[in-house]
Amino acid sequence: MAAPSESVWSMLQTLGCSLDFQTKVYRNQTSGQRIWVSYIEPMIDIEIAVKNIFPYLLHYHFSTLQDLCGALPLDEAYLSSDPNDMKQKLLEGYLLIRLNETDETGLLVKAQKTLERTLTIPEVEFSVVGPKESFIESLETNLYLLRKRIPSDHLTVNMFRVGTLSKTKLAVVYIDGIADPENVQTVSQRIQAVEFDEVIDSSYIVQLISDNRHSLFPQLLDTERPDRVAAVLAEGKVAILVDGSPHALIGPTTLVEFFSSFEDYFLNWIIASFFRLIRLFSVAFSILITPIYVATLNYHYELIPKDLLGTLITSRKEIPFPPIVEVLFLELTIELLREAGARLPTKVGQTIGIVGGIVIGTASVEAGLTSNVLLILVALAALASFTTPVYKMGNTIRLMRFPFLLFAEMWGLLGVAFCFCIVMTHLLSLTSLGRPFLAPLYPPRWKDWKDALIRLPFTSQAKRPSSLRTPQPIRFDGKKAKEKRDIDE
Amino acid sequence: MASVAERSQVSAFMAFFIIMSMQIGIGVLGFQRIISKTAGHDAWISVLLAGAAGHLVLALMYWLLQQADGDFILLHQQLFGRWLGNVLSLAMAAYFASMSLVVLRTYIEVIQVWMFPDLRTWEFSLAFLLLCLYITLGGFRIVVGICFFCLIIPSYLLFTFWFVFDYTDFYRLLPILDHPLSNIVKAAKEMTLTMLGYETVLFFYPFLKSGKQSAKWAHAALLTTTLFYTLLTVLTLAYFSEKQLQRQIWATLTMWKMVEMPFIERFEYIGIANWLFVILPNVCLGLWCSSRICKKVLPVRQKTALFLVAIGCFLGTLAIHDRTGVNMINSILNRIGFYFLYVWLPCLAAFTYIRMKVRGKL
Repeated sequence: MAAPSESVWSMLQTLGCSLDFQTKVYRNQTSGQRIWVSYIEPMIDIEIAVKNIFPYLLHYHFSTLQDLCGALPLDEAYLSSDPNDMKQKLLEGYLLIRLNETDETGLLVKAQKTLERTLTIPEVEFSVVGPKESFIESLETNLYLLRKRIPSDHLTVNMFRVGTLSKTKLAVVYIDGIADPENVQTVSQRIQAVEFDEVIDSSYIVQLISDNRHSLFPQLLDTERPDRVAAVLAEGKVAILVDGSPHALIGPTTLVEFFSSFEDYFLNWIIASFFRLIRLFSVAFSILITPIYVATLNYHYELIPKDLLGTLITSRKEIPFPPIVEVLFLELTIELLREAGARLPTKVGQTIGIVGGIVIGTASVEAGLTSNVLLILVALAALASFTTPVYKMGNTIRLMRFPFLLFAEMWGLLGVAFCFCIVMTHLLSLTSLGRPFLAPLYPPRWKDWKDALIRLPFTSQAKRPSSLRTPQPIRFDGKKAKEKRDIDE
Repeated sequence: MASVAERSQVSAFMAFFIIMSMQIGIGVLGFQRIISKTAGHDAWISVLLAGAAGHLVLALMYWLLQQADGDFILLHQQLFGRWLGNVLSLAMAAYFASMSLVVLRTYIEVIQVWMFPDLRTWEFSLAFLLLCLYITLGGFRIVVGICFFCLIIPSYLLFTFWFVFDYTDFYRLLPILDHPLSNIVKAAKEMTLTMLGYETVLFFYPFLKSGKQSAKWAHAALLTTTLFYTLLTVLTLAYFSEKQLQRQIWATLTMWKMVEMPFIERFEYIGIANWLFVILPNVCLGLWCSSRICKKVLPVRQKTALFLVAIGCFLGTLAIHDRTGVNMINSILNRIGFYFLYVWLPCLAAFTYIRMKVRGKL
């Protein structure tokens, strides 16, 4: 913040160092009054200025700025003599109108240029059925998308600004009376305590306000789907929207939420539950399969029945490396492919995928560097890691198998169990906005299991999750929803 | 009672998970041989007997805790004065620490015998205790979380006993009550080590949100464990002949050898690896209880006490080299546990009762 003694004059001088800052002098054609208009050119919407502001400036008869302010057909116009405020507004795209070059008071008129892309379909969290709009980089539009879905007077938006340079607008959204006030309090406090200069995206905020900033696990859920945000707001969670970021943050979140895709709610509950279990299984598979491969082949080949062992040995007999080297070689190749694919433009990325996946894979088997079986396992594990509906969790899953591999190399299956215990302890100690991350598994909230590992039908979801401690735990009358009917009625 | 902050407390029903995960430990892998040594094919009656005795002692513990407002250390001080009472409490601390030690060392022995003959004791012991420190430093809630998951996760192992059914012969259990009662009681006494664990309630009681309601959960846990042990004993007795069983130090592990699936054989490897989950809460809660007592009695922080106890356990595991040593610490702990539960606790109850009477008269 600038010193309070700074005058409007010196403030304008500073801004004037930049060549896109303009101060122009006009003359009112009825009164002959001279008018100084200052603005930053790229921030101004010329159409608004020409249509709504300049006709009044040049033709309307006024003697004071007050008169002019009343005459302008724009809401966002006011008199100010605070240099800091003026500077801020000029930077955001306001016009500063003064009657004298040395005046300390000026009229600020909003003529902000708003350029934003149109609403597109969600690309990260795509779903076949269900709404197809996703957040964009404008906070106002994103709030509009939420308000449209929750037309309730209880939907409350708290505005903050973070970043000493970026002064990014940030909205904390919750439904008053449903969200736990303590959670809102926690979020607000943490946001106010953020110390950073340039906040670009909501993922900056995640890293700045998370409970444990060193954890591999994301502790706030990020989503690009307004429908998902609206749904969890109704459950009693708190959402954070950041201007310039097409991803909203949701908290307090839990581990199981990261494995639930929002599409689960668009499908029949049995199918949705099946998909969730598949996802959990694939996550476990993805993390554990190569460590188990290393453990078994290093130490416990007795575990494998005779026939299967034959297959394994045939596929491995030409391989000059111990299992761990073989596995690390393939795992790193897959990571390399993934990273290359992510960095390259889509079309080239596909080519790389084909070249890498098929050519390197088959070639390395034929060259006798890796075994067929392992190639299948690693490819499956990579595939399984992409089933996590939240991108950031997928990254965590991919990284997690490396410590497991090291422990498996050291102590076999025992090492895998040991590493599992470490991860479990870490997860137990994690919190999201001060709420346990493993809820409803631990602390056990049996009633919340209706929407955790499986999802029960909507008629059984009459209560909000008890781990959220919402002041209004009943969503709707569950008894009315469940109609009991007799045969042939 | 008021000294525990609410955010480190857990719900009363977690007592079920704490006690059960604490009871099921290393003993399960091989208790069958020891009890059938004296009670033969009637050993399952001994298990039930030990369970019944456990329920009595547990009820006694709850009664004692009510008298001292939930603080067992305070009870010691009330009965024996500040100085002697604290010494007794410290003895309890040593008892819990040695429990962690025995469990850990026995587990390492199992690993060395069944999985990795050349596993260095210090290496695994150090890593394991570091993990326990990581858990225990997180506070009681994390320890209870570990108890919870470490009971749930390995519970799938129960299904593996299904494979054993094909090879059982339940006529081996007949005739029932074939052994003299004294032998059966003696075997029940040998069960102490395997049943041990519920005495931790004396110290975690203040950490339960509504302590009094936890009694039913504690008893439920004890009952479940007893039934599980009985079932396992019956299964073992039906699976092995009596002479065969006498040669099986780890009967449960031998039974796992029968598990056969199209992609897995020799299930005991998986069983042993999974047993890490089972013994983890044992060691953690032992360390936690021990350091908690030290904090209450001595002018030390619980962290400091915890590190000291862990170092003690580490050195202890190094000091025991072979099977005989492991056997010895197991039988010593069994004896201490027995005298503590069935002799010392009733004595304490009697003292408390007399003290109440005397006070009432005065």
